[in-house]
Amino acid sequence: MTDTINNNTFSSDDWDNGPKEEFLKSENLAPSMTYWQDVGRRLRGNIPAMVSAAVIILLILAAVLGPSFSSHSYEDQELSFANIPPIINLYQITPGRYVYMHRNLRLIETTSGGDLIETVGMEKEDLFKKKMFYDIDGTRIILDYSQRPFKLTDVDGKPLETWKKTGPGGYLLGTDALGRDLFVRTLYGARISLLVALIATLANFLIGVIYGGIAGLAGGRTDNIMMRIVDIISTIPLTLYVILIMVVLDSGFLSIIIALGSVYWVNMARIVRGQILALKEQEFVLAARTIGTSTMRVLFQHLLPNSMGVIIVTATMLIPSAIFIESFLSFIGLGVSAPMASWGTLCSESLDSIRTFPYQLFTPALAICITMFAFNFLGDGLRDALDPKLRK
Amino acid sequence: MSKNNKDCLLKVDGLKKYFPMNKGLVKAVDDVSFSINRGETLGLVGESGCGKSTTARTIIRLYNPDSGSIELDGFELASLSQKRLMPHRKKMQMIFQDPYSSLNGRMTVRDIINEPISVHTKLNKNDTKNKINDLLERVGLNAGHANRYPHEFSGGQRQRIGIARALAANPDFIICDEPISALDVSIQAQVVNMLEELQEEFGLTYLFIAHDLSMVRHISNQMGVMYLGRIVEIGESSEIYREPKHPYTQALLGANPVPDPRIVRQKLKIIGDIPSPLNIPSGCRFRTRCPHAMDICSKEEPQLTGSGRQVACHLHT
Ligand SMILES: Nc1ncnc2c1ncn2[C@@H]1O[C@H](COP(=O)(O)OP(=O)(O)OP(=O)(O)O)[C@@H](O)[C@H]1O
Ligand SMILES: [Mg+2]
Repeated sequence: MTDTINNNTFSSDDWDNGPKEEFLKSENLAPSMTYWQDVGRRLRGNIPAMVSAAVIILLILAAVLGPSFSSHSYEDQELSFANIPPIINLYQITPGRYVYMHRNLRLIETTSGGDLIETVGMEKEDLFKKKMFYDIDGTRIILDYSQRPFKLTDVDGKPLETWKKTGPGGYLLGTDALGRDLFVRTLYGARISLLVALIATLANFLIGVIYGGIAGLAGGRTDNIMMRIVDIISTIPLTLYVILIMVVLDSGFLSIIIALGSVYWVNMARIVRGQILALKEQEFVLAARTIGTSTMRVLFQHLLPNSMGVIIVTATMLIPSAIFIESFLSFIGLGVSAPMASWGTLCSESLDSIRTFPYQLFTPALAICITMFAFNFLGDGLRDALDPKLRK
Repeated sequence: MSKNNKDCLLKVDGLKKYFPMNKGLVKAVDDVSFSINRGETLGLVGESGCGKSTTARTIIRLYNPDSGSIELDGFELASLSQKRLMPHRKKMQMIFQDPYSSLNGRMTVRDIINEPISVHTKLNKNDTKNKINDLLERVGLNAGHANRYPHEFSGGQRQRIGIARALAANPDFIICDEPISALDVSIQAQVVNMLEELQEEFGLTYLFIAHDLSMVRHISNQMGVMYLGRIVEIGESSEIYREPKHPYTQALLGANPVPDPRIVRQKLKIIGDIPSPLNIPSGCRFRTRCPHAMDICSKEEPQLTGSGRQVACHLHT
């Protein structure tokens, strides 16, 4: 080698004389925080997301355990106790005898605590004066329906005083038109909704993530064909799938589950593919390939863990729309069949008597809203926690 | 490796890599040939976009070459399938430019360095652990860093982790694709020195890609100057540095800051920008920017001529 000009150009000494990099002493470092610990810390600081997470956990617990605390089942009918609102006015007839005046012109005897006992038999009815006469332990009372609001009066026509307002014992949210317990039915609806959420999530993870991952990883023609299939699937409306599957299967709910399970992963597949396409040009993936790491290991050890944040956020955000799809299909009569209850069927059943008994719509509608809010807020919180840079 | 045993470890011949794009064919690497002796370093320099990284990535078979041969340690790699290539993969490794994207942020340093070990060796748990600790110490870190995540390290330290990963498979040949250009100037020297020490210690052979000519001159025995996918001058680096023959090399050296003010370089001005690789000029590809362009330059493509020191320029035929 010709090193003659070494003394007036660069010598290796110049490189040695550079300042020394300061090294971390491993002892002095704060405990190592993994990415997920960091995410957890940020998520815990997000109050709406934490409240939502608590709501979702409560909902799951209530759906799983709740019905067993009630003495009623979701399908028990008690026609004489139909359409009982969650709060009832009790009248004291004699000490020890209490009645509730039902809006469809019946008297129901209750205990002092509000437990429903039985319908009181009518003595006679004056159809002309629109009055019903009752005799309870010798005390005569009159149900006057000649003008609204209907009144319960004594023999002189003086209205009775409300003795107390209370809940109908055992029926926390009242009953529906067939006398079934709405509380248990709403919890049962929560089971259906959560099952739908679970199916949607499973489809997203088991099919969407893998499908998108393989398409992104393979690239080229394979990717092209796989994504065209996704395009075709996603242009056909989900409702149509459900109807088509219902032709073969009798059960509407099973059709919804199968439809969701087989096509609800396409959005996830698209998102994962995009992530993988971007990630696979990153140098750590190139490094893995120069090492000779197998394709599957590259996918599961490098690409998917680095996409996990986006995957989780997407899955969370896709849950509420799956729940809504099921509720909607059940509402229009394509979903679960009686006596099963979903929030959608509860809503549609309540519509028959929406004027008289609006409370029947309120509960399932509120349940749908709260659940969708909770999943959306949690998804937002997760996105902020996973990538603080994305926060607007 | 003894110095007199100058056998050739890597021989690249007529390598071509074209990328089909919508607008046409990008001739990123267009007939590149060189060889590197065992234990030596070839420096590859050239402007951004001239195809240095593509050359490197084609040699290590991240890309499939369109033609040409890549002979590593007597084995022809250019035509092997990825599967047949596997046993040869551990002989060549790569150190990347960007220490931030070259390490997987979801893996601990231990797992990162373990990847080549687990793919290429059958070490038991204990031996693996010792090997990882050894490697960490070799690159100036310590065993306590093994359980940490890349984001806890500085750029220079991350590059050291990347170097430890490249060494983990016990390679003969390492491609360094601008390994220091993303680093702080004060740290560059340490990393270069470390690479030199490792070369000495393990008898490594380097293909060293860089922008900075003085640094290439410092680390490499041979130097190749690339322009638009082709090598225009190649030879002993100190000779090229002392007396560049190709007008492009002369211009590059002029553009390079000279650390010693006593050396006054004749500054040649390169006119205009580098032409698009989609539309390579006829004849000599440098003629559109060459201050010495002649009639023949647009008609005939100059070939590398000479023995030892080779130049592709009509001024030198
Ligand atoms: N995967 C690819 N697909 C299409 N074109 C590519 C691809 N990779 C590189 N190119 C093109 O090939 C040419 C050479 O690129 P390359 O990255 O090899 O240059 P380089 O010399 O390494 O530049 P730099 O100094 O900026 O790293 C460029 O014009 C680039 O646009
Ligand atoms: Mg490059």
